[in-house]
Amino acid sequence: MPCGPGLRYMRALEPQTRFLLRGSALLIGLLTLWWFVLLDPMLYVLKGAAGAFVSIEYTSSGDWSFHVPLHAILPATPEHPVAREIRSIDFDLSRSDAIAFTFSLPVYWAIILAAPDVKRSLSPLLLGTILVSAIEVALLLVFAEFTARDAVSQFGGIADAEGTWLRRVGEYLIVNVLPYIGPFVVAMSTHGKLRAQVFGILPPTESSLLSAREEQPRAKMRRT
Amino acid sequence: MPAMTTVTKLHPLRFALAFTCWALLAFGILFTPPVQALDVRFSRVLVSVAHGLLTGCGGHAARDGAILRAPGGFGVEMRDGCNAVNVLILLWSAVLAFPASRNMKALGLAAGSAIVQALNILRFISLFYLGQYSMTWFDFAHAYLWESLLVLDTMVIFWLWVRHAVRPGTALYARA
Repeated sequence: MPCGPGLRYMRALEPQTRFLLRGSALLIGLLTLWWFVLLDPMLYVLKGAAGAFVSIEYTSSGDWSFHVPLHAILPATPEHPVAREIRSIDFDLSRSDAIAFTFSLPVYWAIILAAPDVKRSLSPLLLGTILVSAIEVALLLVFAEFTARDAVSQFGGIADAEGTWLRRVGEYLIVNVLPYIGPFVVAMSTHGKLRAQVFGILPPTESSLLSAREEQPRAKMRRT
Repeated sequence: MPAMTTVTKLHPLRFALAFTCWALLAFGILFTPPVQALDVRFSRVLVSVAHGLLTGCGGHAARDGAILRAPGGFGVEMRDGCNAVNVLILLWSAVLAFPASRNMKALGLAAGSAIVQALNILRFISLFYLGQYSMTWFDFAHAYLWESLLVLDTMVIFWLWVRHAVRPGTALYARA
């Protein structure tokens, strides 16, 4: 099939440059599509999937209200002379914060579609979509658990430095790191050719020839 | 084609484990009080550089600590997470986890950090102008688009570094 000058120019580029250009264009396009079209359906699906594990209701303002079962006994303090028992924690998550648990999917699609050999990308695309969706639901549930535990420690006035540090690191990873790096890690795991190119790994045929060449001098030495 | 003489094995699981350990260690250190204080100072330095670039190119802005203010009143603050330290940690972890010489790793850390920070300053300046135009577009670009582009750029930086780290005469293959 004849290809246009634009496509021929793209093929002549280094794989890194081609991936960067295609990836950037796809990220802009797919994230814009997500922001204007896919966001509401994705939030609906996310709420439904996470709702299978923890109770989530809409508030009057459209935010999400979580009801997290959590059993804790708060010891007596000078302010509260009687020990208190907690069975669950309720908190609200604004819609704008819930959005952060849906954007990994368009990012993943952009990476896979920008990867080399796009015709063979259907299987990684489908498998990765399932994996990234599962990661997004898991991250939301872990975030809910972290928030609930943080609330318990605040109610109890427990000021342990290690616990506070651990919660801060955990929350930072869940909100600021994992949703961004998750799609890239899944793409590298599901797309063999992309992984091989990024890590400079030789194809299996060349690497086996190379290992054979490496073995030869050793064999000679054994004979002498 | 030159004969390949050295073979280095890349153990994907070992790389993934080393990458995770380096990243967790670095993020853990980032949240200790002394490093947090350094992080705030670093953000101020970046804002100072962005301000210098902006005014040097004829733009109008005032700097107040880690905040860049427009004459119209709009201001954008570089907070923790906006200074690309999280992306730098991911790049450093990948470079440190990869089987390469110490010199190549040092080059990857230094050059990679410089490129990421140059891109981040560009991101900060673009957000400064975008926020004056539309807050909706600012939120979208700030939280999702620019952050994802920065991670994509970081991946390509790592990819380019690997091409140099795996020199001619050296081949890398995955252990079966």
